[in-house]
Amino acid sequence: MPEENKPKWRKHARPIIGMAVISLLICGLFFPLLITGIAQATMPYQANGSRAYLPNGRLVGSYLIDNNFTEPVFFQARNQSLTASGVDPDITVPEAQAQVPRISNWTGISQTTLLNLINSNKEGTFWIFGSPYLDVLNLNLILIQQYPQIYQKYVANT
Amino acid sequence: MISPLEIAELVLLLAVVLLTAWLYAPFIVKVFKRTPSRVDKLLNPIENSIYKLLGIQVDRSMGWKEYFFSALLVNIAQMAIAFVILTEQGLLPLNPMHFHGMSWDLALNTVVSFATNTNLQHYAGEMTLSYFSQMTAIQFLQFTSAATGLCCGVAMVRGFILQSKGLGNFYVDFVRAITRIFIPICFVAAIILVALGVPQTLSGYITVQTVEGATQQVLVGPVASLVSIMQVGTNGGGYYGANSAYPLQNPSPITDLVQIFLMLLIPTALCFIFGDYIGKKKESLPIIVGAYALFAIDLGIAFIPNPVTVGPGLETRFGGFMSTFWTVVTTAVTTGSVNASLSGIHPLAILAAFMGMLIQSTPGGKGVGLMYLLMYIIITIFIVGLMSGRTPEYLGIKIVARDVKLVMVAFLIHPLIIIIPTVIAYASGAAAAIGMGPNSLGFTQILYEYTSSAANNGSDFLGTLGNTPFFNVSTAIVIFLGRYGPIMCLLALSGSMLGRKRATATESSLKTSSWTFSLVLVASILVLVVLTFFPFLALGPILAYFQGHLNFFSLGLWV
Amino acid sequence: MSETIAVSTSNTEQRTTKTSEERGKTPGLFRLISGKVLVDSVVRLNPVSLLSNPVMFIVEVTFFIVLAMAVDPVAFAHVASLSLRAFYIEVAAILLITVWFATLSDSLAEKQARTTANSLRKIETEVMTKKLVIEGGETKVVPTPSEKLRKGDVISLEKNDVVPIDCDVTAGIAMVDESLLTGESTPVRKAPGDQLIGGSKIISDSLTARVNVNPEETYINQMIRLVESSKRPKTPNEQAVTIVLIGLTAIFTIIIIGMLGLSITLGLAADLSVLIALYVCLLPTTIGALLPAIGLSGISRLYERRIVAKSGKSIETAGDTDTILLDKTGTITVGNRQAIEFLPFDGHTEREIGEAAFLSSWHDDTPEGRSIIRLAYERGYIPKELNALALSEVYEFSASTRTSGVKLQKGQGFMLPKTGEKGTKGRFRRKFADVSLPDIEPETEGAGTEDEQESEIIKGAPDSIRALVKSVPAKYDSVLQGISQAGDTPIGIERNGELLGLIRLKDVLKPEIKDKVQDVKAMGIRPVMITGDQPLTARNIAKEVGIEEFVPQAKPEDKYGIVRKEQAQTRVVAMIGDGTNDAPALALADVGLAMDSGTQAAKEAANMVDMESNPAKIIDVVMLGKQLLMTRGAVTAFSIANDVAKYFAIVPVLFATTLPQLESLNILHLGLHTAVLSALIFNAIIIPLLIPLAMRGVAFKPANTMTLFLRNTLIYGVGGIVAPFVGIKLIDLLLTLVFHL
Repeated sequence: MPEENKPKWRKHARPIIGMAVISLLICGLFFPLLITGIAQATMPYQANGSRAYLPNGRLVGSYLIDNNFTEPVFFQARNQSLTASGVDPDITVPEAQAQVPRISNWTGISQTTLLNLINSNKEGTFWIFGSPYLDVLNLNLILIQQYPQIYQKYVANT
Repeated sequence: MISPLEIAELVLLLAVVLLTAWLYAPFIVKVFKRTPSRVDKLLNPIENSIYKLLGIQVDRSMGWKEYFFSALLVNIAQMAIAFVILTEQGLLPLNPMHFHGMSWDLALNTVVSFATNTNLQHYAGEMTLSYFSQMTAIQFLQFTSAATGLCCGVAMVRGFILQSKGLGNFYVDFVRAITRIFIPICFVAAIILVALGVPQTLSGYITVQTVEGATQQVLVGPVASLVSIMQVGTNGGGYYGANSAYPLQNPSPITDLVQIFLMLLIPTALCFIFGDYIGKKKESLPIIVGAYALFAIDLGIAFIPNPVTVGPGLETRFGGFMSTFWTVVTTAVTTGSVNASLSGIHPLAILAAFMGMLIQSTPGGKGVGLMYLLMYIIITIFIVGLMSGRTPEYLGIKIVARDVKLVMVAFLIHPLIIIIPTVIAYASGAAAAIGMGPNSLGFTQILYEYTSSAANNGSDFLGTLGNTPFFNVSTAIVIFLGRYGPIMCLLALSGSMLGRKRATATESSLKTSSWTFSLVLVASILVLVVLTFFPFLALGPILAYFQGHLNFFSLGLWV
Repeated sequence: MSETIAVSTSNTEQRTTKTSEERGKTPGLFRLISGKVLVDSVVRLNPVSLLSNPVMFIVEVTFFIVLAMAVDPVAFAHVASLSLRAFYIEVAAILLITVWFATLSDSLAEKQARTTANSLRKIETEVMTKKLVIEGGETKVVPTPSEKLRKGDVISLEKNDVVPIDCDVTAGIAMVDESLLTGESTPVRKAPGDQLIGGSKIISDSLTARVNVNPEETYINQMIRLVESSKRPKTPNEQAVTIVLIGLTAIFTIIIIGMLGLSITLGLAADLSVLIALYVCLLPTTIGALLPAIGLSGISRLYERRIVAKSGKSIETAGDTDTILLDKTGTITVGNRQAIEFLPFDGHTEREIGEAAFLSSWHDDTPEGRSIIRLAYERGYIPKELNALALSEVYEFSASTRTSGVKLQKGQGFMLPKTGEKGTKGRFRRKFADVSLPDIEPETEGAGTEDEQESEIIKGAPDSIRALVKSVPAKYDSVLQGISQAGDTPIGIERNGELLGLIRLKDVLKPEIKDKVQDVKAMGIRPVMITGDQPLTARNIAKEVGIEEFVPQAKPEDKYGIVRKEQAQTRVVAMIGDGTNDAPALALADVGLAMDSGTQAAKEAANMVDMESNPAKIIDVVMLGKQLLMTRGAVTAFSIANDVAKYFAIVPVLFATTLPQLESLNILHLGLHTAVLSALIFNAIIIPLLIPLAMRGVAFKPANTMTLFLRNTLIYGVGGIVAPFVGIKLIDLLLTLVFHL
């Protein structure tokens, strides 16, 4: 940098560097911290990841994240390698219905009961928008709550 | 084709977007015209202390060169800060998962990508970045790049105003864009997103035992604040690698629609500000018609095939319809966020996505989309306007050889930085090295990578596969040129309009605020932009479609 | 004395009658084709001379590449094959023909420009002069056309001669009228050593003068040469179009290089010749080929209308005109008023006025004066004092009194006029050589000679006459007003202090001027009429032709202010002018059309000169400007719109061997072997097909800008998309069915 240009350069350096730093403080720290504060104070359930608990109070994960059910007594999620997120917690109504005979077989819960359970826990539609789906963890937690004997093993797992 | 109900959903959502944007547009104009407002009481002291601290003369309007270079240099300074934060995050606070610093090439790619509003991500945030990095590198750049784009768009508009003395003061525009537009909208958006289930916490990832007893980590963090600016600012870079397909970033169809709305809001509002800003309200017509007609064409192409209910690469809660819709929107406004894996999207929807990224103004990224539309208007006026028997003029300004030169250079940048790197990626073996074979599916992904980079869109097929020195560096170069090249040309164009003789529209001038012109504009954009890339699109998504592919999972062969 | 009046009519009128026959469409384009033109077009294939046309230069480069492929396919290892040699030769031939079509259009346009320019020169130099040649000590007069005069020649100039070229007086003294050149109406005395300006007129005596400039150095000739030159500078609009063409060429170059690179690295086996065919088809070859011809033809079309432009730019500017200043006289009206009625006041008869008017107008050689005599003659009011006129005292019109008249001396022995060729009729025939007279025998035949009083007849502006007469009737003012309100002009006439009545002079509109004004207005251009008339008269004339805005009582100097006012409102102004007073306004106006009969100063200030000195042609100039821009836009849009079909013709074939699925894009169902040739042939053949359009200009009906825009967009934009689909398919059918390719 030639000597005579230095003052001009300095003149520009102040707003340029200053603006970069101030924007960092406002956008990178002030804003997210403000939102965190408000969210934690007013909506801790959502802000902390929609945590799911067993009836006995044990934290088992998030309603929004697939809980990796593998056993036949539970509703199971899709093959996660075929989903975009790898943690898709939901299944379609036909996918859920297709699992009813198997769960019924293993648990003895009647197919009608299971089909009713599916029907009354559809999510994802509102007004004309969306098409229905089911949250696997939610379905299974309801089963555990309604049939503690059948699912005793998992509750006792604590 | 999609069902009438789905069409109704589309129309309804777009109608809400258009209405809100139309109502919001005058506010944007007021912010940049520095019209006194009720929020002055609160914000003026803060803003003025910033100006004072940095020695900024608020009322000094800049010429195009000073405006552009101020923007560029501030962006570079921000990149430098973010680069240090990313590479040194191991030494910085708020790193509960103890992530290491990024490699230099990935960090370079990331800062260039985020500072330019591109948000191409060759990393998965949840596995790579500390909370501090997500906030002070990613979110920070998402705000500033959005504000920079918006400022440049407004600066370009100012050149067209009668008796305008300059393009405005970049620093003042930049500060006001952040304090009065982005922070307030993002604040509301972030709170809504939290309410709808998006986490916002600084405590570390939650390790749990699943119902069946396996160990699982729930990857929470300051997500909602990031998602708000990533969509509002049409950035697109997600908190998670899977972006808005990840349930914690986009938990339900409602959050999906909210995010689509947020993406479209400011770009659409900017279509309305032009006429308002220059004092000729009707002149917004070709801009809004141009943007939304092309957007509608994109949607039409994407929905030729009936979207699947759910399939590989898609999330159950969104299904084929919402995933396809999102894909078109995210490329139409050059956001680049995704709510599905692009590999799960039908080739024709990918073709529509290409169109959005090649046109860049359907309605395009904030600021930049408007700039491109003005560029298209000028080139269209020049080519077809002659047919009205007059020397082409826009808003009474005669379009001279120098204007045409700048527009053509801006025009030329895109083919150059998309086609040449694509060829090099194949010729050098870099594409083959990451498994992108010489077939329609592989070719689509490489072409998409550079198109997305050039358009500063950021959506990509490659994801972490692209984390190789070749792709990191080459896309960084493409992103940089694709951002600053056209902005420089178009600001120069606008700057040259200042003080130029202009006619008040007479009976005998071409009416650019007419439907006739608006439709001709749409046709000429299709012919000049989309057709130019036709041979390449023919080898990619079009070929994939004719080969019968329904998504990009199957192995495609040339023969 | 009256004999001298009976000289021929002015040059201007001769030109007008002659050229209006010649005008009309360009004489058949095919007639322009000659051996010379063909040779010239082939010479222009020289790549160096093509450098000024980048698109065509590149097409020629591709020709050489394909030719090389035909000569040695093996050298083009991955992109050519031996079996396609015949195909390469075909492609190369079409490429060369494409370039040749472009050079042919250039040659034709230049030929056209030269032909029309030469015909202009002839007109310019039609004047015959009396050159003095000294042979053996004896001075001889040699009639010489002015174009043959050289610097140093000596010419003789007599009364009523027009000075053909700038020269210096060497002998004699004469009065010279320079009013057309300087605006100064008083004749100037010229003696040896003084300068004579070409275009001025000798009004008395005679002179000898030496020519001091060569004819080809005259202003008009210089202008013709400037625009004729092959190095004619590009107009700003042409430059801008060229930049678009270069930009598009650059984009397509990147596309094709990219395709070639991909084809090689991915093993897609695209043939280089097919890629080149796609490239050339996508290049804006049509507009690239025709761009120079379009600009040149615009100038030629001006020449055809006997207008010389200083630059191509001024023609384009004419197309942008927002306001057009029309001088009433000469543009809207035929340039002079015509007497249509004699209005006697109480106690006088129409015959009295008629005869008095006749007498007072005999020495008045203005068109108005002649029209008065004609009206009197037609009505049979031929005065018995006719012979006395030769010895009468004439009061010339003066601007201060605004009257003119005649004093018939007492006792001059009035004689009966004779009939026949030597009498009254013959005299009229000579005086009115240009008009056909009704065959009326003067009723005065045999009338008496009883009234031998001294008699003074004055006619002139009603106000001036009022001051000369003893009394005026009470209705005088109301009658005057009535005449003015009708848009006519009253002239008062008195005899010996007694008001006889009024002569009604009517402005006569030029034929077609109403339609032309309508055309101008239809295109959104504001016509503004400028006239020296009273507001009332001006309003009526303006109303009659359909002009809303007019400036009455304007002097030539006022034009400058009017132009400036319009320009201050950012309007593009076109105007005409001839006098020196007009020069500043002509220079200021965006489009200034000077009359050739006008002053040198006006011609130099203007950017165009009308050799026929017909001011109404300013409207033609504006229309020509629009047509030129429209033609350039139409061919550009057509050329770019053509690309749509060409993609669909060639892309499916490009990878036919490796990617047969792309056959689905072959929506025209073209033959695998003929698709490329069809597209290339269409691309080439469209150039000569559009040469007539380029050289004659887009036809258009005057309409507002948006209507023209919509219409041309549909024809050349949408048409440009559809035409090649049809054309390429037809050529393909022809190739497959007729030539069995």
